[in-house]
Amino acid sequence: MPKANPVKTRSMKMSARTSRLGLAGLLVLLLGLGTGCSDFLEVTNPGPLTDEQLNDPAAMAGLVTGMSADLSFGLSRAAFVVSLAAGEQNHGGSYLWAGQASRGLITDAMEEAPHVWGFMHRARWVAEAGLDRMQEVMGGDFTSSPLSARAYLLAGYSNRLLGETVCDAVFDGQAPVDFSQHFDRAEAHFTESIGIAQAAGASTLETSARAGRATVRAALGDWSGAVSDAAQVPTDFQYDAIFSLNTTREYNYVYSETGNRLEASVFNTDWEEVFDDPRVPWDTIYDSGGGLRVGQDGLTPHFQQGKYPGWDENIPLVKGAEMRMIEAEAQLRAGNVDEAFNLVNEQRAHFGLPALETPGRPTRGMHSSRSTSPWSGSKAGTSGI
Amino acid sequence: MLRSALMLLTTLALVYPAGAQVETTASLDLNEPELISQIAPASELLERRAHLSVEDVTLDEGLHALREASGVPLAFSPSRLEGNGTVTCRCDDATVQTALDRLLAGTDFEFVPLDGRILIESSDRGRAAPESGSAADRLFQDLRSSVATTELRLVARSPQQFGRTGTVTGRVVSLETGQPLGAAQVEAVGTGLGAITDAAGQYSIASVPAGEVQIRVQTIGHATQSRTVQVVAGESIQVDFELRQEAIGLDAIVVTGQAGATRRREVGVSIGGLSASDIDLAPVSGTQEMLAGRVPGATVMANTGQPGRGGTMVLRGLNSLTQGNSPLIYVDGVRMFSEGAAGGLMPFNDINPGDIDRIEVVRGPAATTIYGTEASAGVIQIFTKRGTDGRAVWEAETQFGFNQWDPSTSQDPSGFFLAECTGPNLVTSQGVQFEDVTCPSSGSWLELGQVQRHFLSVRGGSEDPSFQYYLSGNFNREGGVIAPGSSNDRGVRANFDFAPADNLSFGARVMYNQRESQFLPDGNNFRGFLLNVTRGPANNYKIGADPANDLIREQELTNEHDHYVLGFSVDHTPSDRFNQQLRIGYDYNAIVNENHRPFGHATDVPGFISVQDWKHYVLSFDYSGSFRNQFGDNVTSRFSWGGQLFEDTRRQLNVTGNEFAGPGQPTVTSASRTSTTADIRLRVINAGMFIEEQIGLFDRLYITAGARFDGNSAFGDDFGIQMYPKLNASYIISDHDFWPLEWAEPVQLRAAVGDAGRAPGAFDAVQTWNPISGDDGSPAFTPGQLGNPDLGPERSREYEVGMDATFLQGRLGVDVSYFHQTTRDALIGMAPPASLGFLSSQLENVGVIESTGVELELTGVFLQSDQLDWRGRFHLATSNSEAVDVAGQEIILGSGRWNNFIREGYPVPSLFGTRVVNAGEMAEPVLEEDQFIGTVYPTRTLGMGTTLTALNGQVTLDVHGEFQGGHYLQNAVGFQNALRNVWVPCYEAQQAAAAGDPSALNSIPAEDRYKCLSPDEPYSYPGWLESADFFKLRSASLNLQLPERWIPGAETARLTLSGRNLLTITDYTGLDPEVTDFGFSVQRQEYYNIPPTRRFLASLRVTF
Repeated sequence: MPKANPVKTRSMKMSARTSRLGLAGLLVLLLGLGTGCSDFLEVTNPGPLTDEQLNDPAAMAGLVTGMSADLSFGLSRAAFVVSLAAGEQNHGGSYLWAGQASRGLITDAMEEAPHVWGFMHRARWVAEAGLDRMQEVMGGDFTSSPLSARAYLLAGYSNRLLGETVCDAVFDGQAPVDFSQHFDRAEAHFTESIGIAQAAGASTLETSARAGRATVRAALGDWSGAVSDAAQVPTDFQYDAIFSLNTTREYNYVYSETGNRLEASVFNTDWEEVFDDPRVPWDTIYDSGGGLRVGQDGLTPHFQQGKYPGWDENIPLVKGAEMRMIEAEAQLRAGNVDEAFNLVNEQRAHFGLPALETPGRPTRGMHSSRSTSPWSGSKAGTSGI
Repeated sequence: MLRSALMLLTTLALVYPAGAQVETTASLDLNEPELISQIAPASELLERRAHLSVEDVTLDEGLHALREASGVPLAFSPSRLEGNGTVTCRCDDATVQTALDRLLAGTDFEFVPLDGRILIESSDRGRAAPESGSAADRLFQDLRSSVATTELRLVARSPQQFGRTGTVTGRVVSLETGQPLGAAQVEAVGTGLGAITDAAGQYSIASVPAGEVQIRVQTIGHATQSRTVQVVAGESIQVDFELRQEAIGLDAIVVTGQAGATRRREVGVSIGGLSASDIDLAPVSGTQEMLAGRVPGATVMANTGQPGRGGTMVLRGLNSLTQGNSPLIYVDGVRMFSEGAAGGLMPFNDINPGDIDRIEVVRGPAATTIYGTEASAGVIQIFTKRGTDGRAVWEAETQFGFNQWDPSTSQDPSGFFLAECTGPNLVTSQGVQFEDVTCPSSGSWLELGQVQRHFLSVRGGSEDPSFQYYLSGNFNREGGVIAPGSSNDRGVRANFDFAPADNLSFGARVMYNQRESQFLPDGNNFRGFLLNVTRGPANNYKIGADPANDLIREQELTNEHDHYVLGFSVDHTPSDRFNQQLRIGYDYNAIVNENHRPFGHATDVPGFISVQDWKHYVLSFDYSGSFRNQFGDNVTSRFSWGGQLFEDTRRQLNVTGNEFAGPGQPTVTSASRTSTTADIRLRVINAGMFIEEQIGLFDRLYITAGARFDGNSAFGDDFGIQMYPKLNASYIISDHDFWPLEWAEPVQLRAAVGDAGRAPGAFDAVQTWNPISGDDGSPAFTPGQLGNPDLGPERSREYEVGMDATFLQGRLGVDVSYFHQTTRDALIGMAPPASLGFLSSQLENVGVIESTGVELELTGVFLQSDQLDWRGRFHLATSNSEAVDVAGQEIILGSGRWNNFIREGYPVPSLFGTRVVNAGEMAEPVLEEDQFIGTVYPTRTLGMGTTLTALNGQVTLDVHGEFQGGHYLQNAVGFQNALRNVWVPCYEAQQAAAAGDPSALNSIPAEDRYKCLSPDEPYSYPGWLESADFFKLRSASLNLQLPERWIPGAETARLTLSGRNLLTITDYTGLDPEVTDFGFSVQRQEYYNIPPTRRFLASLRVTF
């Protein structure tokens, strides 16, 4: 049988003493907590940087690398979505946006998972806002630094990407304007880049900027300017957006969705009938039991693009071979078909392909050459003739 | 005689608030002990019938006669009454108050109610009192002074001082059943002595002062009862009680949401909860399962049937769009990590059900103001068992059973190709036969998942020194219905209580739980098991052309979770009026998730490994105090204050490795390419203080007002101090004498309003850049958060009114509440223009959300006798939310293809999709696109159960069911499988379409034509939003008390056979209406998730 609660039968003298002790103890504890609180309440979380922390000359290299990283990030996603929209690849998976893009529903696809619209705009904003910051932070060094030349170069390519992809240009949250303004900005940035690269002795940057300017001048219809720049770019020149196995953020997204996940296939595209063209490589793949693998929808045979066979495959931003095609197009516009074909064949020779016979007039073969060169690449079929 | 009467005021002491006590005693006579009587409200004393008729007697004689006749204690000093002539009062039918008015008319005296008696004192008590006089006179003077300064209390005389004590013993049983009531509190009122009944209902209180003593018994679920007895020095008196069941225990003590332990009658908000006995028989594996369908307003959705993973739990629906809706979780006063943890775990579930004594649930801001920021989603507090005085009592329980799932139906005997993976039933709608070449020899992927649970506890304590302990340990193994899904956990708990003095006690709580789980890949994952198996021949894992889904199980998803909770408490009660508490707690969760695809894996030949190391700590300091005061008999005051500080720290490191050189059990460094994909270190400080004042009138009306001042480090250096007010009232209307309904007592009316908040994340207020790498490993920066320096918490205000009542002498209990919540400044992620470079959505205080609902809980006793007890329980809860203002935005939760949206004027969140106007007609579908289909969360839940106890408690049958309804779920499984011709409900339509004869479609309803035959917009699922109403038989159990002789040495032994989720009734066509692929996120959708399964258990529990 339980007994009375002993706690409640203690003497009151004991209570008084322990009360005072307890109270004193509590006060000491609370006082200790209070005095220790000033440090305790200071909260500094590591990881992200504040905007002000970037205003340091030593941070400029990282800032420019960030421009490059964001351009690569946006470019590879744009390349994948546009490859679906342009019919270079066919949807064989289960992404909503990929299916929509494959059926030409670009607007929704752009707003969906890969957020292509946002990634492309981020690349532009990071480059252009970064240039403003660099000018302020670097002072007089800005005009002669290879970093500045590269920053302008990346600002040019990020604008070119938008100009080739979007219907309206939007800058810094303002009202939409004509998409060609991206090309205008790109041309200006490339011009700045050329000047600083020359001053800094950075020839690769200078050539890349010329090549880039040639492409946007062509897009703007300035064919003489385009040819003038293109002529200074060797056929074997190439300037890449960089991808890497270093981190998943640096992965080539085209490979992620075609080599790792089987979301898109060359099956049922024009290119499934084109074999042994190094410009449009693809192949079938098989499972361990010898069965032809199908896409993520479980139905579509997976003809895997081979242009980017790994996460670390760079995507060309510009090629000298494309310069020959710009020159060829300029010749065609001038009615010089033979000259144009000579340039096309120069390009084909670069890829180890046999020369085409000059027909004396434009042909579908020329169409193919113009569009296959950047297949799943920098222009992703959006600027075909 | 009057002098001797006054001497009955045996012990009076003035107690100083600081805790030092001064004892004031006098050598008084105990010849008339009736003046120490039950403390009754003054109003009740004064309204008693006087039964007095005196004529020409002295004032002291008249007062004495009144005391004798009415039984009302009167205290007066005879020496002061002399010289007042004679009085006359023919007051037989008058009240005591009238009689006193007449007796004291024309005298220098008046009467004052004081602590259950009527004090007769001089009218000029404000003047200085004479120093001379007898000891009794001086005592009287002290008493008057105390009344004037409101610092008086009655303190029991220590028995050691007088050496005249006796013993009170007895037994407490249920009036209705005659069964003993254990753990009832028995108190000798005013003496500071008490005891707790044992399992046989027995109690004993020694050293009770001789004389008339009031013995009071209270226990949860029964009406408090008091009896006044005469204790004779040196003797023992037997006092037995039969307590009447009371559905609504207004004297039950509640803690959660209050400034301290508070009687329920004083609380103006609804407090739900469970006691251990409520769920004692239910076969639950975690705390969430305990609450499912048991507490009105608490919606628990299992999310998944993967052993070890947790579900979603919300109180009164959703009131936040972005900051989570999980209630705060406390265990024994220590705040736990309350959200879902890495790997889909819910740390809340680590508390072993066997250790839980009771759970309190406060559902909304009206009740959670005291918790401030973070508390707008409600608070759940778990109280674990404590030790008791006496010898060690051991309890051991062992359970064996299995989990089972059988999705096959007569229409689909293969059960989504899960119940059968070979045989003639594996066929597509187009007649394509297939079978899985890796199908187990049983012919089914499904198996019985073995379940074991073992639990051992011991509790006991010593009287001197006062020390109680409760220790327990448990081991559980839960197998899933598809190998290798399983979860093993083991844990220990130690609770200690130590009281070195009457007014000081220390508590320590330690819990450690370790869990190892292995998950089956499922969900929206192309390597998921259900995704591949249920897609039949259109799966991703093949050998040749045949499905080979066993290859999926080469991938290993493992989870290790260490969880400990430390709590330390100090309770200090310097006086009956002043108490203070300090709680220090530390909740630690460490989780390691590993995902391993070995070298040679079917879809990743080089192999892959990722490891996530996730840790979360919550350090909490919680101090509170309260000071009670009494103004006369009828007015009480309690002023409370307190401060809390919480440090919430998260550490997370994710590393991956790709490509192994060869087979074996790798680590990340075994891979040729390794990468650190996340390194997160977040620390948030939340601190605040509160003040609260409660006024009580006549012990039947309580009004509480308070405010919480809160700051959070997410708002920057100034912590963005916020003030959250509260006001509530409780009115026990049935305590009035005029209350006419004897069959309806007690009846409590409640009304409350209160605010609480939710803080944004650590970086939401500042503009940030994220360090990244680019150019093949060079350091770089990219925009992070745009930032908003004006960001504040979202604030929720709730109005609540309700009633708690007991009807029909305890046979029917009713608890009904209505609430209306408004969340203003709701934090909404606004997408900045992408052309500004910052792509992350930025939280803005721009939203308004409203939510209303009703909660009704009924408990009833249908039949009661010595042999049979049959009772039932039922609750209904509704919750209807509306996004009143979302700044004109349409908020897409996750991705647009999930069709979970927040739009103004609609519930939060809602499903929008395509409605087939002529759904049931045999015609081409007529479509309305982008239509509101329904809300994602249930708008009404019902819980219902019954318990039948027979053969004098030897046999108990308990059944409990739950309905959740009014909500919808996107059945992505149906859509994806229909697209692949493997969704049985679509077979008829698809076969008709394939027949090539348009007339074959004549018998196909429009809705099926739309859903099954190539919808216009593939992969957007707009037609697959289905009603997710369901009823589940949550538990059924049969409990048999075994004869003690069967297990030598045992005091009690019990065998229980039970089952969980035994029956599901729903029109939803997916795998289960309760699951989601989004874990603890607001949006929900089914996407190949393993559903909750049936569980069967046999349990043997022994105490010894």
